[in-house]
Amino acid sequence: MTETINRSRSAESAAAVVIEFFDRYRAHDVDGMTDLCSMNAGFSYVPVEIWGKQRVLRGDGKVRTIGKPLWTGLIASFPNLSNTVHSITSNDDGDVVVQADIEGTQQLAWGLVTPAGRHYREPHLFVFHVGPDLLIDDITAYWNDAGISQQLGHNEVD
Amino acid sequence: MTTPTQTVETFLDAFARRDVDAAMALVDSQVAVTVHPFGLYDKGADVLRTVLADLVRAFPDLMITVSRVIATGDVVTALFKVEGTQSADYAGAINQEKHLDIDQAWRFVVADGLITNVAAYWCQAQLYRRLAVKRYDEIGQLT
Repeated sequence: MTETINRSRSAESAAAVVIEFFDRYRAHDVDGMTDLCSMNAGFSYVPVEIWGKQRVLRGDGKVRTIGKPLWTGLIASFPNLSNTVHSITSNDDGDVVVQADIEGTQQLAWGLVTPAGRHYREPHLFVFHVGPDLLIDDITAYWNDAGISQQLGHNEVD
Repeated sequence: MTTPTQTVETFLDAFARRDVDAAMALVDSQVAVTVHPFGLYDKGADVLRTVLADLVRAFPDLMITVSRVIATGDVVTALFKVEGTQSADYAGAINQEKHLDIDQAWRFVVADGLITNVAAYWCQAQLYRRLAVKRYDEIGQLT
């Protein structure tokens, strides 16, 4: 017999989804993180921008095409990557705002930063939206990338 | 009785008009102020006033475009873009008259119609990139 648990979206249930997301992130379960997101979930890591000669690559797109590779690469470069959630607030519309620190010790190149075995810990603000199906359908995050670069010993802005 | 969202929207409207006094009228005297890109963790209305005034002074044509205001209980999170043309040194970046456009998120806590806590998030790398700063170790005094 299959038991189906029907949960309606509320501030509490939306927050629970996001708490599970960070638990899976801490466990480096990128597939599990993605499974908590809708198929077409939006993704924006605002500080991510790589300026080329003719165009700027940004961390904007979809969870499955931009987010998942970013998370996978981050975990590869920082094998002990972890997070600490400091606050989580939500509403019945499915908005969830999270203050969290992300930290890790660099083992592989990350962007333009060569590995020097240094550790970073940087405050992040995440804004999630959880849909009525209790799947995350949008993730936006803000942090200070200069803080990460400097902690890792990279002093060039680009 | 104003809602937390109304308080924050009024604050942001005043900030967008570069009216620092009007913005600060919505702020508790003991407000906790965190500006992560500056490594600033302090308390008091004068601290926040300085953060706002420095931005308005350095970017006299400052424009604030709010994209979202999200209320989650007494916490209100505002996502907005800050734009302007630099005309004075700012955050250790000498004035090279560059244009700034940077997306920011500010998380407010409101109690009894006043902002009691504000935490600001933006990427200082993006800010320095736009202001033509090349190296972090060549930046002057932050804030």
